[in-house]
Amino acid sequence: MPGATLSPWTISYFATALVCLVAGLALTISGFGYPSAPIDDPASLVIVHLIAIGWLGLLFAGSLLQFVPVIASRQLQSPHLALPALLLTMIGLLLLLGGFLGLADLVPLWTWTLPAGGLLLTVAFAGLCWMVAGTLVAARPYSLPTKFVALGCVPLIATALVGLVFTLSLSGLTDDPHLVGLVLSAGPAHAYLGLFGWMTITAIGVSYRLLTMFLLSPEKTRGISRAIGWLLAAALVAAGCGIFSDGTGLPADRPLHLAIALSGLASLFYAIDIHSIFRERKRKSVELNVMASLVAIGMLLLCFVLFAASIVIGNPAGMVMPIAHLFTFGWLTGLGLGQLYKIVAFMTWLEFYGPVLGRTAVPRVQDLVNERRASLWFALYFTATATATAVLILDMPDMFRAATFAQLAAVCALSFEFIQARRLAMVPAATRLPSAVAARRLILPSFNGRSR
Amino acid sequence: MPDTSERANLIEQVRQQLSMVIDPEMGRSVVDMGLIYRIEADRVGDMHISMTTTTKGCPASTFLKEAIRACAASVAGVKSVEVELTYDPPWNPSMMTP
Repeated sequence: MPGATLSPWTISYFATALVCLVAGLALTISGFGYPSAPIDDPASLVIVHLIAIGWLGLLFAGSLLQFVPVIASRQLQSPHLALPALLLTMIGLLLLLGGFLGLADLVPLWTWTLPAGGLLLTVAFAGLCWMVAGTLVAARPYSLPTKFVALGCVPLIATALVGLVFTLSLSGLTDDPHLVGLVLSAGPAHAYLGLFGWMTITAIGVSYRLLTMFLLSPEKTRGISRAIGWLLAAALVAAGCGIFSDGTGLPADRPLHLAIALSGLASLFYAIDIHSIFRERKRKSVELNVMASLVAIGMLLLCFVLFAASIVIGNPAGMVMPIAHLFTFGWLTGLGLGQLYKIVAFMTWLEFYGPVLGRTAVPRVQDLVNERRASLWFALYFTATATATAVLILDMPDMFRAATFAQLAAVCALSFEFIQARRLAMVPAATRLPSAVAARRLILPSFNGRSR
Repeated sequence: MPDTSERANLIEQVRQQLSMVIDPEMGRSVVDMGLIYRIEADRVGDMHISMTTTTKGCPASTFLKEAIRACAASVAGVKSVEVELTYDPPWNPSMMTP
């Protein structure tokens, strides 16, 4: 039977991811790392990897475990790898962060921590790709979301491998000039492959299925959707060429700039495509998760507008960090929080009310959340993110920390909303289950077989 | 052994009973959503229900199928229920009742 069930560890992935996001924002507010230190300072790298791997990586991995079976209409391949992949990511990340703290002279530096962390993370992401790609490859004929998510697996592995090579040089295990040269020049390409190559391409693919599903819009492959796929594939090739030239000792900015230009064009086409999906929707009321996604897409476009503007005014280097901040927190995190708001409620409904559907009165998914209250937190989050980007451009670090504090407040408030949804706290009394039922399974799956 | 009119009555009772099964996302019954394609009954009260979901691979499909089976089985006169999940034709929003 074509169908999908609940991914038991996805909520645990989300909970760990949110802890990393809160920790990263709190460290920034405390003055640790960027902007108090350069972005390539080890202290800054702690926050960068806490956000990129701990928050975004686990968020995307947990989401894929739940939604790849939906996209493929078949069960996840090797689902027993979900927990080991989560544990390996957590341990690998802790080792990596420990290594960076050692490089920053904040803790004793053990040579093996960075490569060991990199290796564990590479194994964890390889396991994720095995589950994702293995599920998708058998799902013929390949749908549009399938192609995008499968394409995203390539840069994910490339990002992990390049990062692993970095750790060999950073830890002093090798002084090979090519590998040292790679560390010195391929950092931006490493970030591009992770944040755009894997996460953005995956987000685009999954959004084609989720947005059409939530908006009751016809799912069809438009010519512009195919063009986006080809542009993104070309951008990945360009970024790969850039890393290759960095590794051969002939660093060049042009391939990465070409990749970013192609990505910008693809993002513009994507926004046009999403506009078509939105216009053709049969569901007239627009829920908060969709609104948050649309704002996030707007911020994605703004990133490329700022990038183009920085070239026109001749200051691309000065604009890199504000644009990276907007991309990470406006686009990826904004989209992620918006979808979490929906996914947590949806999965909670399936877990607790799915088994009793048809036997007793049940609430709607929307009854598990308080949209009016959550909309305030989303407004605060996006306003704070736009402000943080603006004050970074204006070089006002104190204001940046204040804006980050507002981001943290919004994230904590939204986390509280997610917990309330998990506890079924907002469900109308007539359909509420005993509170002990929900409280037992806040972030861990059921071990009695009810949660599938 | 129900005759033709009794079978039609039984099918109608099952259809009404299925109205208590809601689509979790839309909050409307699976009948109003157009997710029930066909309900058939034979002479001895064995039911065959053909249904779909709004999206192929929907995580709720297993729960919806089981809910529809249990709901139909609770109608007096129904001896057994077989639920078939199909995506031919695929569901589209025009199948919803206004």
